[in-house]
Formats: sequence, structure tokens, C-alpha cells
Amino acid sequence: MKVLVVDDEGIVLESCRKVLGAAGLDVIPVKSADEALLIIDKERPDLLLIDLKMPGHDGLYLMKELKNRHIKTPAIVMSGYSTEETILEANAMAVRFLPKPFTPDELVDTVRQALKGDPMKQIKTMAIKEVNPCPSPC
Amino acid sequence: MFHSTRFKLIFSFLCVSFLAGGISLFIGARLLYDAVLMEATNQTRLALNAAEDVYQTHVRFIGLALNITTLGIGFRTSFIERNIPDLVDRLDRMAKNADLDFSGIALSDGRTLCRTGGNAAVDSRTDNPIVRYAMNKGASIAGTITVSRTFLETEAPERAGHIKFYSSQTSCPDAADAEPEESCMAIAAAIPIFEYRTTGRLLGVLYGGRVLNQSTEIVDSARKSAFFDEIQSETTMPAATIFFDTVRIATNMIDQKGNRAVGTRVSGEVKQQVIVRGKEWTQRREDLGDKYISAFMPISDVFGKRVGMLSVATLESNYGAVQRKLIFLFIVATGFGVLSAVGMGYFLARPIMAPVHRLIKASREVSEGNVSPDTGPLSKDREMALLQKTFKDMVESVKRTRMASQNQILQSEKQASVGRLAAGVAHEINNPLTGVLTYTHMLLRRTDINDDIRSDLQVIIESTERVRKIVKGLLDFSRQTKLDPEPTEINRLMDATIKLVENQALLKGVGIHFEAGDNLPMIVLDQNQIQSVFLNMILNALDAAKPSGEITISSRPALSANDIGHPGIEVAIADTGSGMPPEYLSQIFDPFFSTKDVGKGTGLGLSVSLGIVKEHGGTIRVQSEPGKGAAFFIWLPVERQVEQDESAGRGR
Repeated sequence: MKVLVVDDEGIVLESCRKVLGAAGLDVIPVKSADEALLIIDKERPDLLLIDLKMPGHDGLYLMKELKNRHIKTPAIVMSGYSTEETILEANAMAVRFLPKPFTPDELVDTVRQALKGDPMKQIKTMAIKEVNPCPSPC
Repeated sequence: MFHSTRFKLIFSFLCVSFLAGGISLFIGARLLYDAVLMEATNQTRLALNAAEDVYQTHVRFIGLALNITTLGIGFRTSFIERNIPDLVDRLDRMAKNADLDFSGIALSDGRTLCRTGGNAAVDSRTDNPIVRYAMNKGASIAGTITVSRTFLETEAPERAGHIKFYSSQTSCPDAADAEPEESCMAIAAAIPIFEYRTTGRLLGVLYGGRVLNQSTEIVDSARKSAFFDEIQSETTMPAATIFFDTVRIATNMIDQKGNRAVGTRVSGEVKQQVIVRGKEWTQRREDLGDKYISAFMPISDVFGKRVGMLSVATLESNYGAVQRKLIFLFIVATGFGVLSAVGMGYFLARPIMAPVHRLIKASREVSEGNVSPDTGPLSKDREMALLQKTFKDMVESVKRTRMASQNQILQSEKQASVGRLAAGVAHEINNPLTGVLTYTHMLLRRTDINDDIRSDLQVIIESTERVRKIVKGLLDFSRQTKLDPEPTEINRLMDATIKLVENQALLKGVGIHFEAGDNLPMIVLDQNQIQSVFLNMILNALDAAKPSGEITISSRPALSANDIGHPGIEVAIADTGSGMPPEYLSQIFDPFFSTKDVGKGTGLGLSVSLGIVKEHGGTIRVQSEPGKGAAFFIWLPVERQVEQDESAGRGR
């Protein structure tokens, strides 16, 4: 299984490569959305792991672009900016949302579930609950 | 300065005083003119009375002279003895002393015994009216008579050669001749001589007279007696005139050539009034090219027939000088009054204007940003005090709304800046934290480490988890407020926003014009947030606008420039301020960028506004040129409702 990881942060890319590699997955790390678009046809990954906020073209742009090109590879969106709006935005296009920072187990679980094609609505809801502990203003 | 209130006040004072002064001048001049004329008329009448006195005195004097002669020692003897030389001698002396033109003695049968002059002994039967009267009445008489040319040529040929005769229908009415003879006017007296002093048979009549035609004595002494005041010169003194019928026979009126105006006539109207009706008559009339105030009285001859007139005429221009002098004084007094009114107005306007100036200064201070201006002590003038109080109240309410709107903006700016900070922090910290967590967990998976290291790694993981929670908490706490969208009429929202800044604009003297577009669709937006965007833009424009500048706001339907064809509404906010250089335009939406002085703006207003508009799916663009003001265009999409509802529904 091939996972294309898109993030401008080297440490994140390296972390993903290590963890997913250890889990027995092929990891293709790229540093920008443009780079991802360049190689996606050649590499044909089974899953995309995309950082939302990147300089230049961001994760949303990448997903829109993929949709335009009719590439239906499932995508997980990860972000260090896990507000409700961000999650909603991501959910519109991605199968999973992964808030940063994550532990190796969290990463591997999310990726496995995405690869299985599990809808896993539960987790999404949980993610929202997690980032918004008190719905009314505190 | 012509538009200053003080000028207007003084100008009003001036108008009022000019009006009052002008009216009083007009009325006063009118009254003065009438008074002067009345005075002149009265004076002229008085002068006429004096002239009459002079005339009568001369008449009486002739009577007296004749009487004295008849009473003289030896006169009767000479008369009875017909001692002609002695009688002629006596007559000559009398004529000389009394300045008589003719004198003589007539006998009871009508013959002339003797007379003065060349024809001393010529007996003639020419009609001698004064003798006729004395004979018929048998009494002394002195008065005015008209005598024919024939009579005078006999009596005083020399004198007759020097004077002019005039024919008059009123003269010699009793004369037998049907044709009116040329005649002249004279004052004369006749004393009857009786057989025994005063009784007995009438033996004869002593007569004598003075021709009035071309005589100067009476009129000149009449003029002298008519005094008048010292402002009159010799030439402008009143003129006395004796008329025979309507002809001037003796006068000191001067014609255009500078001679006595003997022989000139007055109008038939005068004759009608004076001679025919016998009235004393005063009239302002033009005569010999000058305007005169003339008074006339009739002169009757000894038979009671009105044969002539006595008149005194005063040049109106004499009084004109007096009048001009008075009017000049009047004008000077009025002018002085007006000037003092202006002066008083100036000084009165000062205390009135002082609080106004103070208010002007205060409002200028307010427009410059000082919302606690000094309006000075409360005026004692109730209206002014009310104005001051209203101004203070207005400034207070401006202060409140300004603080409220500033608070609102500050609040959203603060929220946004903390949110921005938190987002940055979260983004920046969460990435390395991912690395820390990953590597620590990977280390923990290794089997070749001892328990000490394992427990140390556990501490790292726990601490990192704590950091993760802190960051998450920070993010949650400062997360940007959720949108609270509802369908909104953009024009109403703008109206409400303009109301908030109206007072501020008023104080700064900046006009706000809102050209509300017609038939705009409802738009779904967060009213509070979009209002704070509008408010921010208008306040920016207000800060940029100069006093008496303008802010033009308009709304219109517009398609999106980015998302081509998407319908929306564009709101434009344009000011007439100083504008911005092009290099600023790319930076103005950056956080903490501000062209305002330190402390006056946070530099977050526009970036927050942009954030809010972006959240609504809209755009903001700006056009500006230095010196030409700036225009901000806020585009907001319609049909946002559906998307919003969907995403909101999915979120919950």
C-alpha cells in the first residue's frame, strides 16, 4: 500500500515515513501540493495524507485539483489548527481528519481505517467533540 | 469675513439704523422743508405788513405836509388875496420838503389857481381825482389815486417825461372818456380851504402828490424795514413791489439784466385773487426766472376801487440755504447715529459672539479628536446656554457612541488577533510536537533500552501530551467566533451603521451620503460582524476625510470578480481624503499595518474586516490614489444561505 504524504514540515514528513514505514506501508513524502500533483499520476498512491495549511497552494487547493482531475484517491486531512470550521472544511472533501500532534498509534489507526474504506462517522464526531469541549462559549 | 455671524449682526444693525435714519431723514427733511416754507411765508407776510406800514406812512406824510402848509402863517391871506408868487413859493417849499412830484391849489369852480413846476399858471380842466374827492366830500383826504398822462403832463411835465404810463381797465373808472387813457399811480393828499378856517364856503383845495411809477423810495424803505436775518446778502433780500393793476411800477426786484424789473407783469391769477377778490394772498411762484415766496395785498384808491397791489417777494433759495444747512446738520446727526449704532453693534456683538466662538473652537477640537472640549462657562443668555448645553450633550453622546463603536471594533480586533496568534502558535507548535511524539513513541517501542530510559521517555510523552492539551485549549479558547448568519437587508444594515457615526461626521464637518441601490436581494450574513466591517471602513474614511469632505457610500448588485458570475452585492465606501500611495495598497490588509499615528489604530481593523468578509465568502478590494481619496469595495455573495445552512447542519 502506498501513502502519499504532503506537508511542508520536514519533521512531520519524517515522522510519517518512520511510523507508516514501520507499519509496513510505502510512504512517499512530498513538501508541497504542487509536488504532489506532479507525481501522483506516476506513483498512484492508495491514500493521501495532506496537511491543510501550507505556503503557496494549500491542502484544500490540492484536493480541489484532484477532484477536477477525477482522481478519487481517498485523503486524510491533518492540521495543527483543529477548529470546528477547519474540520468541517476538511470533512467536505476528506475521509478523515487527523489533528496534529498525533501519536504513532493514532496515525496508523487513522490510515488503516481509511485504507479499509470504513466511513467511521463516529471518529469524525469524536474529533469535533474533542476540539470543542464546551459548545456554548466558555 | 462677509459670511461671519458678527458681520451679519453688524450688517443687520447697520440696515436697521440706516432704515431708521433714512426714514427719519426723509420725514425730518420733509417736515423741515414745510416748516421752513411756513416760516418763510410768515416772514413774507410780516414783511408785507411792514411794507404796507411804510406805504401808509408815506401817504400820511403827504397829508401832513399839505396840512401844515394850509396852516402856515399868511397862507390864507395869500390865497384870499390871490398872491400867486407867494403861493407858488410856499408850494415849491412844500413840494421840496415833502418830495412831492406835483402840488397846486384848485378853486372851487374847478379851475387851478396855481401849481408847482413849469405850468404854474396854466389853467386846465383835466380830471384831478384827489381834488374831486376833497371837493365832493368837503374834507381832507390822503390816499392812492390813478392819474392820467394828460393830468401829469400838465402838473409835472418833467416827471411825466420820465415815467411810463400804462393803460388799465381799472384806472379812471369814473372818467367820462370811453377809451381808457394811459395813466399812472400816485399817492396824494388834498386839503380843502374854507372861508372861515374850517367852516363856511369851500374856496379851494390844496393838493399834492407823489407819482409811484418808477419811484424807489417807498419800495426801498419797505425792503429795509423788512429786515430779515443776517444770512441774507444784499442781493437776496426780499423785494417790495408796487403794482399798478398787474404791472410793476415800483420795485426793487431785479430782472435778469440786473435792472429793476419795472414794467413786468404778474399773472392773471394774482390779479384775480388780489385785485378782483380783494384778498391778501401768499403764493410760491416762479417770477423772472427765480422761485419766490410772494405775498400780495390790494391797494385801493381813495374811491375804494382796487387799483393795484403791494407785494413782498422772498427768494425761495434764501430759505433753501437755511434748509440745506439744517438738512446737512440732520444728515450729520443721522450719520453719527448710524455710526454709533455700528460701533455699539460691534461691541454688543462681541459678548454675543464670544460663546459662539468658543463653541466653534470646541467643535473644531471635537473634530480633531478631543471629545472633552472646553465650552466655557454657561452663558447667562438662555438661548446661548441652551445651545451650549445641547452641544455638550451632543459631544457626550458622540463620546458614548464612539466608545461603543470603538469597543466593538477593539473587541473583534482583540479576538481576532488572539485567534490569529493562537492559530499561528498551534500551527507552529503542533508540527514539532508531532515529531516529538512520534520519535518518543518510536524510542519506547525499542526493546534494547533499560527501564530508566523508558521511564524518562514516558515523562517526555506525558509532558508533550500536556503541551498538546495546552495548545488545544488555547486554540479552543481563542477560536474565532462562530458566524450567526441571518437574512439581512444590506441597505438597512448600512443605514443603522451610518447612524452610529453620524454625529462624529457632523462634528468633523464631513458629509456622509448613502446611495442605496434598488431591489437588492436579501443576503445571509452575521449582522454584528458585517456591521463591524462597515463601521470600520466608515471610521477609516472619516479619519482620512478632511473637514468639509465627503464620504460616499453606495450599494449595488454585482457579480463576483473571482468566482466568475457569482451574484452578490457590492458596497462601496469612498472618501475624499488624502488617499494612499500604491505601495501601501498591498499591505493595508496585513495585520498590524497602520498608517495612523501610534496609539490611534491597532492596525488590525482591515485585516479583521477582510477575515470576516472572507468568512462570508466575500472579497474586499481597494482603489486609491494619493490626494484623490480612497474607495473600498466590499463584495458579498448572495445564495450563501443554502451553503451556510448545509454546513451548519452538518456541523451539528
